[in-house]
Amino acid sequence: MRRLFGYEERSAAIFLAPVLAVLMGVAVFPILYSFYLSFFRIKLTRPNRTPFVGLDNYLDLFTNDLFWVSVARTVTFSVVSVAAILAISLLVSLLLNQNFRGRRVLSTILLVPWAIPYVANALMWKWIYDSGYGALNGILYQLDFIDKYMVWLGDQDKTIFLIANAFVWKEVPLATILLLVSLKAIPSDLYQAARVDGAGVWQRFIHVTLPAMKPGFMLVLIYETMMAIRHFDLFFILTEGGPGNASHVLSWHIYVETFRNLSFGSGAAMSYVLALVTFALSYTFIRSLGRKV
Amino acid sequence: MAGIRFESVGKKYSNGFHAVKDLNLDIRDKEFLVLLGPSGCGKSTTLNMIAGLEEVSDGRLLFDDQMVNYMPPHRRDVAMVFQSYALYPHKTVFDNIAFGLQMRKVPREETARRVQDAADKLEISHLLDRRPSQLSGGQRQRVALGRAMVRNPAVFLMDEPLSNLDAALRISMRAEIKDLHHAMQTTFVYVTHDQAEALTLADRIVVMKDGVVQQIGTPDDIYERPQNTFVASFLGNPPINYIDGAVEVSDGETVSFVRGDLKLKFAGETARKLASSNGREIRLGIRAEDVDETRSSGEDSLIRGKVNSVLPVGSDQFLGFDFCGEELFFRVGKDLDHALGENVALSVDLSRLHVFDKASGASLIW
Ligand SMILES: Nc1ncnc2c1ncn2[C@@H]1O[C@H](COP(=O)(O)OP(=O)(O)OP(=O)(O)O)[C@@H](O)[C@H]1O
Ligand SMILES: [Mg+2]
Repeated sequence: MRRLFGYEERSAAIFLAPVLAVLMGVAVFPILYSFYLSFFRIKLTRPNRTPFVGLDNYLDLFTNDLFWVSVARTVTFSVVSVAAILAISLLVSLLLNQNFRGRRVLSTILLVPWAIPYVANALMWKWIYDSGYGALNGILYQLDFIDKYMVWLGDQDKTIFLIANAFVWKEVPLATILLLVSLKAIPSDLYQAARVDGAGVWQRFIHVTLPAMKPGFMLVLIYETMMAIRHFDLFFILTEGGPGNASHVLSWHIYVETFRNLSFGSGAAMSYVLALVTFALSYTFIRSLGRKV
Repeated sequence: MAGIRFESVGKKYSNGFHAVKDLNLDIRDKEFLVLLGPSGCGKSTTLNMIAGLEEVSDGRLLFDDQMVNYMPPHRRDVAMVFQSYALYPHKTVFDNIAFGLQMRKVPREETARRVQDAADKLEISHLLDRRPSQLSGGQRQRVALGRAMVRNPAVFLMDEPLSNLDAALRISMRAEIKDLHHAMQTTFVYVTHDQAEALTLADRIVVMKDGVVQQIGTPDDIYERPQNTFVASFLGNPPINYIDGAVEVSDGETVSFVRGDLKLKFAGETARKLASSNGREIRLGIRAEDVDETRSSGEDSLIRGKVNSVLPVGSDQFLGFDFCGEELFFRVGKDLDHALGENVALSVDLSRLHVFDKASGASLIW
């Protein structure tokens, strides 16, 4: 009891100290500081007047119409993206779990989108969707689906789905791998037992494959929901929230508030709302799905 | 149903590996047949062919004279217990046992009744609401048995069902499986690499090696009358001892085994079968328990050597015995006291000698 920390603890502390210091500086401090800021009215256009306003930044949010629009856009984007990611990665992982010639090559090709950085992915899709020289226009035109080049991202009804498409394309590989891992982990004798028990292909899928994939499914659901809710790069590069407010999602709303309106206090408040919502959603998913696994 | 017949059956896996070669086997209705052999000899492959989980590559597989080479598993009326139990992890014990009935569209009440019945017999009724992950190994094993039992199949297949249990449980489950066979009155095909399991359970044993059947017979046949050195070595604990030597026929009627100073006189049938083999190189097999120290019968039954090691095993002791530089193991009574390095003479039971051809390993007497 004389020495609370023995040799091992002390040497661990020494080795960890630099990392902890950096983490403090770049993660913990900004998080706490922005929480602090969210209780002040700070506008860089009025740098000398930063009054303490308590919860006003938070309360003001809920009376702001554009905030609610951004919530709706975020919900649309996330639901569509995550649903598509789940469906596509399920199909692809089932396909890749089969033995066929060229499976390895196909798996490798499939990983490409994963390797591309978000910004590069966004720039690529900006080019694909371009109204003047975009690949989408080119292909559809040559195939006679359209008779003139379209301003794809300028269409209020389509924009959010086109952005979702770019997001899904980037996310499917990782989701597929996560699902494939749970598929590979299914012991083959479960299928043999099911065959002897009289289960057909479809019944084996329902009774053996799907339940075994549940943990993987849950992981993908939680991870991709978090990614989708907070996604920023595509909106920044493709549309800047437009046309009108058709792609004005929450993360974009926060960006505009903070860095265009230079209103740091309310921007920080929104960030906290977004973080809380993300956390609450993940927590509910884990609780509700976790129990049934 | 159901007798099962293999007619020159072969199994070649897609990678070209020949796992079972020219298998001819008649499994009788209601028989308890054990497939015995070392790891990788094709036991599971054979069982899976009966189940329909592996395709037959050559020959014909018949259930009661009906060719079933291409019949899918669910139409074969077989049930199977897997080594890993293969319980559905997300289903309750009840649903695990009921699954086969549900797939066969058995009415709900009857399913419930039959599951309850099986659970009662296996004494797992109090576990019906649990998941497999909440069960002990022995309990899982019972659930796996229940899942097979409840179907009331014509053929009951088991692939090393006891190998994941601890030693004590394994022995008590042996008795239960034997009872189960009595109660169910169906054909059992049971895979194991454990000789003791095979000897206690089987009506007949099939010994396999590298996909080839070595011998088919009752436990008595297999143990007492092994047809080659592989079968002889595979059964017995400690394993059978071999001494290479030659046949010597003197006075036209005394037939003996000779190796240096050692001379053992063959008895009865064995002597008669070897009477015309004077000078033939043979491999003599002496089972570990076929020696005795106390009885001293004539000089022609004694084997002399030096005690190398003494291993008490409860009721008996294993004696490691140095004979002309070869290590032999015998099982002797535990009241006998031997110091290491002591020279002893053991008297061999001459009526129980095994004789094999030295080159091929085939038995010359059975
Ligand atoms: N799907 C397969 N493809 C190729 N070879 C296989 C396949 N399954 C089994 N084999 C080979 O066939 C041989 C027999 O396998 P099998 O599973 O029947 O052995 P076993 O007698 O049951 O052994 P164990 O006691 O270890 O279970 C082995 O050498 C194995 O490597
Ligand atoms: Mg096996």
